[in-house]
Amino acid sequence: MLAYAARRILGLIPVLFAAVVLCFIAIQFVPGDPIMVLLSDQSGDPVLEARLRADYGLDRPLPVQFGSYIAGILQGDFGLSFRFANLPVSQVIGTSLAISPILALTALAIALALGLLLGTFAALRRNTAADTAVIVVLVAGISIPNFAMAAFLVYLFAIKLGVLPVAGWGDPSQLILPVVVLAIPPMAYIARLTRTYMLEVLQQDYIRTARAKGLRERIVIWRHALRNTLVPLLTTVGIIFGGLLSGTFVVETIFNIPGLGRLAIDSIFARDYPVTMAIVLLFTLFYASINLLIDLLYGLIDPRIRLGGGNR
Amino acid sequence: MPDQRRGLWTASALAVALVTASVGAGAETLRTNILADPAMVDPITFSELVAGDILGNVYEGFTAIDENGDVVPALAETWEAHDDNLGFTFHLREGVKFHSGRDFTANDVKYTFEQLLLPGNKAGINAEYLESIVGADKVKAGSATELEGVKVIDDHTLEVRFVKPDVLFPIYSIWFMDSGIAGEHGADWATKASAGTGPFAFEAWNRGQDVKLRAHPDYWGGAPEIDGVDFLIVPSDDTAISMFEAGELDVVYVSSVPEGRRILKDPQFADLLLKVPAAQIQYLGMNQNLYEPFKDPKVREAICITMDRDGMVSGLYGGAAFPLYGQMTPGVAGYNPDLPAIPHDPERAKALMAEAGYPNGEGLPPLKIATTAPNKDTAAYFASTYKTVLGIPVEVETVERATHIKAMNAGEVPFFHWGWSAGYPDALYFLSQVWYGPSVYNRSRWQNDEFDALIEQSQAVPDSAERYALYQQAEHVLLDDWGTCPTTVRMQIAAVRPNVEGVHLTPFRFLPFQDVKIDEAG
Repeated sequence: MLAYAARRILGLIPVLFAAVVLCFIAIQFVPGDPIMVLLSDQSGDPVLEARLRADYGLDRPLPVQFGSYIAGILQGDFGLSFRFANLPVSQVIGTSLAISPILALTALAIALALGLLLGTFAALRRNTAADTAVIVVLVAGISIPNFAMAAFLVYLFAIKLGVLPVAGWGDPSQLILPVVVLAIPPMAYIARLTRTYMLEVLQQDYIRTARAKGLRERIVIWRHALRNTLVPLLTTVGIIFGGLLSGTFVVETIFNIPGLGRLAIDSIFARDYPVTMAIVLLFTLFYASINLLIDLLYGLIDPRIRLGGGNR
Repeated sequence: MPDQRRGLWTASALAVALVTASVGAGAETLRTNILADPAMVDPITFSELVAGDILGNVYEGFTAIDENGDVVPALAETWEAHDDNLGFTFHLREGVKFHSGRDFTANDVKYTFEQLLLPGNKAGINAEYLESIVGADKVKAGSATELEGVKVIDDHTLEVRFVKPDVLFPIYSIWFMDSGIAGEHGADWATKASAGTGPFAFEAWNRGQDVKLRAHPDYWGGAPEIDGVDFLIVPSDDTAISMFEAGELDVVYVSSVPEGRRILKDPQFADLLLKVPAAQIQYLGMNQNLYEPFKDPKVREAICITMDRDGMVSGLYGGAAFPLYGQMTPGVAGYNPDLPAIPHDPERAKALMAEAGYPNGEGLPPLKIATTAPNKDTAAYFASTYKTVLGIPVEVETVERATHIKAMNAGEVPFFHWGWSAGYPDALYFLSQVWYGPSVYNRSRWQNDEFDALIEQSQAVPDSAERYALYQQAEHVLLDDWGTCPTTVRMQIAAVRPNVEGVHLTPFRFLPFQDVKIDEAG
């Protein structure tokens, strides 16, 4: 297990490298010039432009720029931000670092808990009015885009009822709406999957066996059936987490949360490439880590899966 | 998993601590919005609007403007021009304290000038105002560190000498900084300390969240009544308006056109709004080198009288604009209020096009009007108007902003609608930057010797009234030649909560918030 984990972590290195290369190439195709953005609308002094270009090393050939960028990263130096005068990238990103993962993980936890409950509830009442009602709500949850949901919830809870703040960060009450907006689509998705898997599992022989043994229905459902629906669900959690991370881009912008998602958008618009590249790397890292975690979790949930061998 | 859970707990503990702290700070803090993080919080690298909105409260120059937009003395009490018109002697205000507690003296002025010019400092736009000082080129090139043309006579007297007359020098918004700050806090002092003399001192910048200022108790103009100002960073005006409605902002400045239209029409806002024209000209650029038919003044006139300025104001901008008939804007010194309105006369325009040899647009080569995504509606209005009324084959081309600006600066855009904001409170800035032949910002490359001579002449006239007459004469030359079509002036819109007093919106955005009073009961 440990050797397996170590191998997977080593395997991250080429993934991260590929992300850097792809991002570096993609940026070259984006129209716009960071120095022109830096100079602002009313400052077109060609002497100043040339000096800034040299200061940031942008007058060198691309392969040289790339080489020195990689060399910098290996020493933990991500360079200077183009947008913030004299600020190193690490300092720009520092305060934002934990926010997107906190949002995504909180939303994921809520989505998983509620999704499992709702899905199981619907499955056990298959083809009843309650089941249909749950399905209708779930379809709505998946179909309503998050920005529309956000606008509606803000109007209702912040402006009309005045119980929650419109936007911002720092107060726990400011966490509620963004997390709800983030959690609704994956919650609906997980609930639908749970319902489907649960219905499938409930037809299995071992469930019949469990019931025949005289186990209480609660134990049959929650211990035997649910545990078996978790395995296929877990596979999708990695994908869902990726979706949540990209969801933070929208939610952080709407709710004015200073996380990596919003910073990424601001940096892309400002052509702040050093910050953009660092954020791409971080998101790749988050995504890869959660997938690694999931692979390790398989073994815990399903004893038949043992990675790395040697245990059987 | 345990690690992540601990992370969550730490985060919520931190959040609780933050809430407690903000409650402890007292409620008499003015909360307003800015569109983005400032790109800098120091007066040397300063080069953008958002930073200016904040730093205008922290730093001061020789002069300031009052609520009418008129220039008033600030850190210089008086000044006199030298007889040869190649310099000024400034008498600085006494008893001015920096936020650090140090006294403001002539040495700080000299220090600031040098910091702006030293090549290692990546100085922003304020450095451009120093170019006419004797020895500025040497400091800029790195061959000298002392600025030869600036002489400290005593603590409160300073002499500045120029290589060519620069009569507007005292009104340039050059912000003076504390020369002792870098010694005390190191080279990266900007985010740790406050180096100004203004009514508010820089306190903290939480990236992505807010910039906090606190009142300067020793401010020479009297300590502000409020405890401080919080500039909340809110990229979306829609969110900012919601926050204002929910009581999370005391003052909201609305920059985007659709949101501006919305609150202008909303009766809830009627009594809360401040509406002031921006100190920003807008114009249609017609580059005669790039589109042959623009060489004919009849074609240029036809274009200028085909557009319906009143229609644009009500339709395109929902009332959030004023028609503009010249290239100086109301509220900026030098503005000519007596300019005649440019008529809206499509019939005459059609006749002019026929006279020029292009009846119904026949024989005209295709033309593109270049714009950026946020300004696409305006460009689309022009394209469709000129296509349907005059038969000019115009298409809209949307370009990324920095690319567009670079192309305009290089004189490579044949047809565009763009603006220019005043960098200091005098209309010369519009004429000398946008329409003067040698200026890099003469983006449509209109060139007229008589105009250029008038601008050069006005730069050496110390008497204001005499100078304004020259601006207006130059403006006439530009308009009589149909060198451009003035279009509209943007209306700045801000909303202020009824319990807040003393917020002044001028053509140059907000004045520093030193007069603000917040009635907590309200």
